[in-house]
Amino acid sequence: MDELQEIMQDFLIEAFEMIEQLDQDLVELEQRPDDLDLLNRIFRVAHTVKGSSSFLNFDILTRLTHHMEDVLNKARHGELRITPEIMDVVLGSIDQMKSILYAIRDNGTDSNSGIDINPMVAKLDAVSSGNSVESAGAVNTIEPESVSEPVVVNDSSESSNEEEPDYANMSADEIEKEIERLLRVRQEEDAQRRAAKKADKPVASEQSEVHVETEVPAAKPLPEQPQAPKSTPAPVTAPAPSAQKTAVSPQQGGGEASGSAIEQTIRVDVNRLDHLMNLIGELVLGKNRLIKIYSDVEERYEGEQFLDELNQVVSSVSTVTTDLQIAVMKTRMLPIGKVFNKFPRMIRDLSRELNKKVELVISGEETELDKSIVEEIGDPLVHIIRNSVDHGIESPDIRTSNSKSDTGTVALKAYHEGNSIVIEIEDDGKGLDPMMLKSKAVEKGVISEKEADAMSDKESFSLIFKPGFSTAAKITNVSGRGVGMDVVKTNIEKLNGIIEVDSINGKGTTIKLKIPLTLAIIQALLVAVQEEFYAIPLSSVLETVRITRDDIFLVEGKSVLRLRNEVLSLVRLADIFGVESTLEEGDNLYVVIIGLAETKIGVIIDRLIGQEEIVIKSLGYYLKGIEGIAGATIRGDGRVTLIVDVSALMQLAKSAHKKVDQKVKPKDAAVLAHKKMHSSDYRVLIVDDSKTDRSIMKSSLKALGITIVEAVDGVDALSQIKSSDAPFDAILIDIEMPKMDGYTLASEIRKYNKYRNLPLIAVTSRTGKTDRMRGVEVGMVEYVTKPYSPDYLMNIVKRHINLSVEA
Amino acid sequence: MSEKLQDVIKKQQAQKVAPQKKDEDTLQVVGFNVGDEEFAVSILNIQEIIKPIDFTRVPGTPDYVLGVFNLRGNVLPLVSLRLKFGLSSSKYSEDTRFIVIKNGTLILGFVIDKLTQAFILKEAEIDHTLDVQSEQEGLIYGIGKREDKIITILKAEGLLKREF
Repeated sequence: MDELQEIMQDFLIEAFEMIEQLDQDLVELEQRPDDLDLLNRIFRVAHTVKGSSSFLNFDILTRLTHHMEDVLNKARHGELRITPEIMDVVLGSIDQMKSILYAIRDNGTDSNSGIDINPMVAKLDAVSSGNSVESAGAVNTIEPESVSEPVVVNDSSESSNEEEPDYANMSADEIEKEIERLLRVRQEEDAQRRAAKKADKPVASEQSEVHVETEVPAAKPLPEQPQAPKSTPAPVTAPAPSAQKTAVSPQQGGGEASGSAIEQTIRVDVNRLDHLMNLIGELVLGKNRLIKIYSDVEERYEGEQFLDELNQVVSSVSTVTTDLQIAVMKTRMLPIGKVFNKFPRMIRDLSRELNKKVELVISGEETELDKSIVEEIGDPLVHIIRNSVDHGIESPDIRTSNSKSDTGTVALKAYHEGNSIVIEIEDDGKGLDPMMLKSKAVEKGVISEKEADAMSDKESFSLIFKPGFSTAAKITNVSGRGVGMDVVKTNIEKLNGIIEVDSINGKGTTIKLKIPLTLAIIQALLVAVQEEFYAIPLSSVLETVRITRDDIFLVEGKSVLRLRNEVLSLVRLADIFGVESTLEEGDNLYVVIIGLAETKIGVIIDRLIGQEEIVIKSLGYYLKGIEGIAGATIRGDGRVTLIVDVSALMQLAKSAHKKVDQKVKPKDAAVLAHKKMHSSDYRVLIVDDSKTDRSIMKSSLKALGITIVEAVDGVDALSQIKSSDAPFDAILIDIEMPKMDGYTLASEIRKYNKYRNLPLIAVTSRTGKTDRMRGVEVGMVEYVTKPYSPDYLMNIVKRHINLSVEA
Repeated sequence: MSEKLQDVIKKQQAQKVAPQKKDEDTLQVVGFNVGDEEFAVSILNIQEIIKPIDFTRVPGTPDYVLGVFNLRGNVLPLVSLRLKFGLSSSKYSEDTRFIVIKNGTLILGFVIDKLTQAFILKEAEIDHTLDVQSEQEGLIYGIGKREDKIITILKAEGLLKREF
């Protein structure tokens, strides 16, 4: 049973792969009906599916493919010319074959799929018998044979179909005989194959069984041959050896090529690749961490010998990691052609259905992108292309009256641009009319009239993505329900992609989809809000600007920013994520302009940290579905940073809309300022490992009457700072200390946003210039060298803590 | 020499076998304090216990979810048991620990005030009757009685259940 299951799996994988190519081939065939190579390829698919399905007892599928094969076989032998009408039937039958295959995949059988193939079989029969008679005059002497042939073939196939259920009822003897018979046939085939090999005819492996079989009668016609159910084409081909030979030669070339190509590739379970990608993710994190540590070490041991060596190691590890990451990413890459392939067929069907003439021009189908994205991108493209053909391209008579060529063109382009892939869908149809879009949108209640008036042309184009919006006058099979473009938007947003619509009324429309190449490891912009860090996927960041409070305008109670010719809504990231404000905002604001699909907003943040490559980690079951958070990443310093979910952020932004032009006043500061009535309310921390030094400092500051807290080293100081109830007003730091030195302590303190303005005063016996420089680098505001006079120290401290009350 | 070695090996094996015998009707737990009360969790559900480290706040979560922290490359949620049990939050002390509890694939970190000890309870010493009346349904496995004190034994499934 398991073995059969495995065979079925293989069969399905093979069948779906072949079908993908099939659609493409068939549409091409319509343009070049005489291309034998194409015909043979198509025939082979039908034949292979038939062979395998009869082996697996899929009777319905067998019967359908058998009739398809009949028609195709005739075409192959020039007995039938492929007309668009015949093509419709063939394409229809292939669609049915697909749905049966889907049913098999889902249910494991084709018997209860609910698909009635009888009408289709009848149509196929009509084509193969009726039309062949009709076109017989054009064909020639084979005519009488070909007319009688289908009858024979049909009979044999029907009998073979009826035979199959009989296997179950056969007696053991009968089965044995049947097996023996089949074995004999197989052995003969093998013998012939060997003979053929000896005769130096290149024969590709089992994959091209079809071609071996068809070749056989040409080499050595055998009486038993017609008996084998798998070689049904044989009786048809046998009487016409001359036609057969021409058919075989191009086929051999094809078979060979695919044979050798197969050896070059292996199928790998996607899960394994995912696992590999996860491991690489860990490695990237390690690399980031190493780089961070290196920069710390570089700072501290500047000019030392071992730094060079360390630098080499770090950079080589980092290059290898990057290369490895790219290599694994590449293994997950698929050419976008896999998605594009189905569109020629779709365009063909659509243009016939809508009575329009449309040509599809595809370029860049070899552009590769991550498998997970390839899977997601198909649907949106279907909707966009449908839209282009239905709404964009005009009917031929309108086109000619507008002095355009009567055939419309839809161009599908894919190319790389930086770290993303761009897919462009361009049509030369009637384009979008901003006025019409606006009035439609107002009519349908999608936007208010006021909003419509304020909209630029470009903004109005994005109306087509609103749910429930459709410009089609009537609902057709193809579109007009106002669902399609909404789907496009959601799917592209899911991929963190951006949609751009551009259109010239009367000339055509271009829709540009910009999608990041991969989903697991991304480039991100790191921003800080108060003391928290967030990572914004760089693919959604359009630009960052620094503005002043005066650049913010109020429109209908909402804060907006005028940026060049656009007006953007503004939100404060701190409001959205409920970040506690402990720090006063300056007059300059940083705004990150983020764009997703076709919308843009400005997000106010406190500081820009920089760009970094981050590995997306899920927050897991316990925290899944947190609004606005797409995941987390581990930064170089080992801390966790949350990744902003840009599409959710846009949603949240709508509700969090609030005036942002007022300064945020930290609550604590207000409270504190109020509280400081006595000089003892001022708190100064002294960090020094020597008790004597601490006493000297204490006595120097005694006159101020302020509260003095002591710490014996950096570690102690840091924990005191973190755990103290009231914040310190200044910290005096010795440089030379055990456990953690003064420089490290200062840089640790500066990591906390709320201590950004805390005065750190170095009190040290180190007098070198480099020491002073380092002090400035890590954020010391004053550098006092020992020995010092008590008054000097006191004045410095007094100045920095803004002591306003008298002792 | 070799005799000695064998003796040692024998002893070790004896030790290995011994607790297994008892295993069926006993429960080995790790006890800890949250506020003034003592709780315990089955040792089989404890992945590790670490000293407090930095964590990152996650917006939009209940207050007892403190955030997420990095445990050797894994991002784990961190829950304050004080807040979860309705106590006020307190500063970290010398004894504060993160206790990492797992159940199947679910792993969470919990902040506790102090570790007490690991010990073995006989099933007979555990009272299961409280579970029904308990407010936090599914959170309590039973009440363990031990010498002079009473210990609430928590269920890992309950602790790891998302309630928001």
